[in-house]
Amino acid sequence: MANMAVSRIKREFKEVMRSEEIVQCSIKIELINDSWTELRGEIAGPPDTPYEGGKFVLEIKVPETYPFNPPKVRFITKIWHPNISSVTGAICLDILKDNWAAAMTLRTVLLSLQALLAAAEPDDPQDAVVAYQYKDKYQLFLMTAKHWTNIYAGGPHKFTECDSKIQRLKDMGIDEHDARAVLSKENWDLEKATENLFS
Amino acid sequence: MGNCLQINSTDDISLLRGSESSNTHDFTSDRNVPAPIYSELLQPVFFPSPSTRRPASNLTEEEQVKIAKRIGLIQHLPIGTYDGSKKIRECVICMIDFCVDEAVRYLPCMHIYHVHCIDDWLMRSLTCPSCMEPVDAALLTTYETS
Ligand SMILES: [Zn+2]
Ligand SMILES: [Zn+2]
Repeated sequence: MANMAVSRIKREFKEVMRSEEIVQCSIKIELINDSWTELRGEIAGPPDTPYEGGKFVLEIKVPETYPFNPPKVRFITKIWHPNISSVTGAICLDILKDNWAAAMTLRTVLLSLQALLAAAEPDDPQDAVVAYQYKDKYQLFLMTAKHWTNIYAGGPHKFTECDSKIQRLKDMGIDEHDARAVLSKENWDLEKATENLFS
Repeated sequence: MGNCLQINSTDDISLLRGSESSNTHDFTSDRNVPAPIYSELLQPVFFPSPSTRRPASNLTEEEQVKIAKRIGLIQHLPIGTYDGSKKIRECVICMIDFCVDEAVRYLPCMHIYHVHCIDDWLMRSLTCPSCMEPVDAALLTTYETS
């Protein structure tokens, strides 16, 4: 790996460790190998959003050409958000693509992702199904996002109604996550979800 | 001014490659700063647009012209030496503190960077990495009139 990428990441790592957000436990970053090419980030769901109370883990890959090209980042924790794929965790955020600037850092990336959780942009979606629900059935979107936060990120809101519908599909031999994904997509309509699964 | 591109008189790509290596030579021998990342590659890699990455030999003629123009533009940005200013202490690209008398390039917005750091960035994007101000608009006027 190019020298500049490694020395930058080392410096940034120190910067993040000293930052206020670390002290407040709102972001976190850790190394997962010795070569400084792969890191693990974590962001807390922002207050007053359906992600509040959840911890979201991110995969961060540093390209050899860093900081001239952005880090590759995706959500490892499953999340229901218009700009994040509910299947792969891929993120649609301009600064991770064409609007990247060499002065941006891992800290600014994590803070931008936190801001994205607080302000979705459904007109520029990564996950069309989620974006449609966000625009068309906002209350259902909120419930689904809170439910996913509860199940995958340790959030506080339990929805027994969701759990029992998922259980019904599990009883039919469907994998729990598949059941949740289909129900979420079908606006928690058990009949439509079943039809979708068995047609 | 530290212009190493006087040989930039034709748009032959081999001259571009030559000018890159003369750049490398210039910085490593005279100023004792780390060589640009290009020196690790067998041949320079260019970025016709921010997301396209291609070795010099695979560029279309149009891209070659575009890159030659861009190198010309970049070389017209003034180079000075760092005077120990209190305002800007580090190059935000490599995050290393400037040393007094080190060569720095000035952008029109007055942000400064190590020459090799900012030149690598400007080959990908003609904006200031700190304030996002476009570099080309201000430059084109001076470039075309000079
Ligand atoms: Zn630098
Ligand atoms: Zn600037």
